[in-house]
Amino acid sequence: MAQTQSPNPKVVRVKGLGRGFWPVTALLTVLSLACAWYFLFGSIDWIMPGASQPVADRASDVDGLFKFMAVFGTAILIYVAGYVIYFGIEFRARPTDPPDLVGVPIHDSPKLELWWTILPTLLLAALTALSINVWYKIQFGVGAPALTMEVVGHQFYFEYRYPGLKTSVFSKTEPMHLPAGVPVRILITSADVIHQFWVPEIRLKQAAVPGLVQNLNYTPLRPGTYDIACSEYCGSDHSLMQGQLIIEPVAAFNKWLDNKEKAAATAGGTVNLANGSAAAGKATYSQKCAACHSDPPAPFDQKLVGPGLLHITDDPAHPALVTGKPPTPANIADILQNGFTGPIGTMPNRQANALSDKDVADLVAYLVSLK
Amino acid sequence: MHAGTGTTHDAHDVHDHIHPAPEGFIRKYVFSLDHKVIGFQYFFTGVFLLLIAGSFAELVRLQLTKPEGAIMSHNAYNEMFTMHGTAMVWMVLIPLVTGAIGNFVMPLQIGARDVAFPWLNMASFWILPVAALILFSSMLFGGPHAGWTEYPPISLADGTAGALWCMAIFVIGISSTMTGLNFMVTVMKMRAPGMTWTRMPLFVWATFATALMNMIATVALSAAVGALFLAHVFNVPFFDAARGGSPVLFEHMFWFYSHPAVYIFIIPAFGVISEVLPTFARKPIFGYKMIAFSSMAISILAFTVWAHHMFPSGLAPWLQLPFMILTYAIGIPTGIKVFSWMATLWGGRIHYTTAMLYAMGFLITFTFGGITGIFLASVPVDLHMHGTYFVVGHFHYVVAGGAVMGFLAAIPYWYPKATGRLMSERIGQLSFWLFFWGLNGTFLPMHWLGLEGMPRRYASYIDFAKANPDAQFWNQFETVASFLMVASFALLVFNLLWSIKHGKIAGINPWGARTLEWTISSPPPYYNFKKLPHVYGRPYDFDQPLPYANTDNELDQYPEYGKVLMPIPTPAPVGAGA
Repeated sequence: MAQTQSPNPKVVRVKGLGRGFWPVTALLTVLSLACAWYFLFGSIDWIMPGASQPVADRASDVDGLFKFMAVFGTAILIYVAGYVIYFGIEFRARPTDPPDLVGVPIHDSPKLELWWTILPTLLLAALTALSINVWYKIQFGVGAPALTMEVVGHQFYFEYRYPGLKTSVFSKTEPMHLPAGVPVRILITSADVIHQFWVPEIRLKQAAVPGLVQNLNYTPLRPGTYDIACSEYCGSDHSLMQGQLIIEPVAAFNKWLDNKEKAAATAGGTVNLANGSAAAGKATYSQKCAACHSDPPAPFDQKLVGPGLLHITDDPAHPALVTGKPPTPANIADILQNGFTGPIGTMPNRQANALSDKDVADLVAYLVSLK
Repeated sequence: MHAGTGTTHDAHDVHDHIHPAPEGFIRKYVFSLDHKVIGFQYFFTGVFLLLIAGSFAELVRLQLTKPEGAIMSHNAYNEMFTMHGTAMVWMVLIPLVTGAIGNFVMPLQIGARDVAFPWLNMASFWILPVAALILFSSMLFGGPHAGWTEYPPISLADGTAGALWCMAIFVIGISSTMTGLNFMVTVMKMRAPGMTWTRMPLFVWATFATALMNMIATVALSAAVGALFLAHVFNVPFFDAARGGSPVLFEHMFWFYSHPAVYIFIIPAFGVISEVLPTFARKPIFGYKMIAFSSMAISILAFTVWAHHMFPSGLAPWLQLPFMILTYAIGIPTGIKVFSWMATLWGGRIHYTTAMLYAMGFLITFTFGGITGIFLASVPVDLHMHGTYFVVGHFHYVVAGGAVMGFLAAIPYWYPKATGRLMSERIGQLSFWLFFWGLNGTFLPMHWLGLEGMPRRYASYIDFAKANPDAQFWNQFETVASFLMVASFALLVFNLLWSIKHGKIAGINPWGARTLEWTISSPPPYYNFKKLPHVYGRPYDFDQPLPYANTDNELDQYPEYGKVLMPIPTPAPVGAGA
């Protein structure tokens, strides 16, 4: 390499646009077209799950936009990378070069620069039009919903609330159900921190933000079972905040909902607390309560997620339960069964915690024994 | 330069006065006000922290070799990716590209003897180790867990560690603001005579655009983390919905800074590429004005796109559209840059040095990261991709394939100027290929993993692996590839140390480059330029004689200049900074 500046450096000569420029351009064009063909007509299910058979009406709209960008994005990448490699080979320095050989001294080309400003601008304008079209469909394109339901994010599960159903459905123990072929509206909020409700096959996601109710509107199409994931970091077990969604024909969905209503009507009775075993309750406590309540039980103020439960029946500083009721075994059982929401926080109900009748009786016996 | 008390020897050069060079290790290398030495200090601190933050990333990758998590608990994993992201963004990338490269190169390129405010410059540096100490001390208190974004309310569960995180970021923000102000004034007021705006080297343009963002945007970050600190320590309900606050408010304030922050470390890399490409293609940069102005366009547009990080996070639907369109618009100046760099290679005579390999690798990986950015800017597609591994893949292509590639091109390019010796080309080129394939192998599979349904920040992916049997293979593939980058950095560190003693002597201008720093000796004297050079032309015309006068650097030739006034080294800014 030249260490000093030569007064009259030799300038390299280039014929046309360089040897092989047009064959290389043709090759890059063929490659781009092949990729375009693949994205438009090939099977892309392995990167966009369910692309060939849309699971919801908006999924095919989103995929259409994705394919448009994939076609042009891949082409731009192929041309840029291809020309960088080709120029790198064609215009490399040779050992036979004189030491003061320099490249073609061009500074710019207004025509070329105009084109590579205008063409991307037009492309982005087209993309804007397409994006707005799909955005409009997502926001306003769904008819009056046949089903409006609610999803509430909790650490670390989703709670599903259906109209007419007194008890919620919880992602830890049961899948969410949606009817196929009718428009649904899902209202989404959170009871604690920010979560996100995402079914990859449906494409759309929405954050569950405390104090804010957002919605997702679409028509589920293809019956099946799909994974639900929380996609906003929400705490230590964020990666375990998963659930399942079952999309089923309307008749099957209605039957499931009816059965849930009947089950809710017969359940909710009082549990027989007489046979509770404090020893069995201690084991259940460590297994099912210790994530949120100190184990071994500590005084009320030693809060993890929920308060400490030591002396729950005889704490002079806290003569009543968090529900405001006196600390009788029946009232403790009431919280275990139905859960609780108040300023101190939220405790899930027995379905969410997967507590059997015996578990409730054992836990009450154990907690009462902590004098 | 100060109007000093020394004797004026030459009526025409009242700027040149007396002061001796600092002597002794402490005065020369620790309490120096010299922008070059401060650049070294930033470099050593930044590379040291890079090795720590990089090792956190390797722990993250090792954990994901098994769907249930291979080596640590969920809590430990969450702490690792949080510390990796935080340290890399604020303690490594910004200090390295602005603090180290910007400090060392920019004043030399404009023909100045130092930055406008050397004292402030030193204080800016000494904030960095303090902020890093605060940040890493948070790990003694359980560590922050909520990712480098630290969204409340979940980040409020971090307690003391979260408050320390806020303090560290607040403090480093002061340093960024001061550096931005300092560089802004330096570029505006201290260019050599004749160096008009369109005669500035492109790295100086990039530094100027970066300084603008550093100075303006960082204040929003300070407000955000300041409010978060108050929420931590005094339970002020800024972000508590139950007491009238809004968690979304933090996201707005945070991204108003953190989107420009991405450009704060990518634009200096653009500047490095714009220097390296013409030098080794031995021809003028193509479209100088378009590259310079697009840097400014990007730095201004950068302030108008922040909410594209929040499309599904509680943004009013109608607000999604302007942010989508403005984000698309930022693709236009970025595209102009890429096409101009590509055209610079055409008709050149390309010399393959390590720096040139990194610059050409940058063109490919950065273009890829830019294109996936357009996918994420589209509201409907983002509703699918938001919060997934696709996002992680995208921004690592931009950051590692863009900012870090640019930084790695800058090291072998300016190392001979800084030390007087060339780095080993053989080791350098090997480390380039390891880095290039390691980067693509690590971050490319993330794109399809994300599209298939793998969310980011997952300490385990049991359900996802059940639904996608290839998930574990690709995660293991990424982990193996990421160790190629570890090998590359090990070689880089070895090369840096080995070449100080054993590298070839560089001379004034080993690359035949044409900007002003290559007209003075290597390493430059502490005052850089004996006489202020005069500039009468553009910097990249390889077929023309150098457009500089007054660049003769032989000290003894101008006895009438005597010694040059430079600020006296003092430890005071250390106290001010700390």
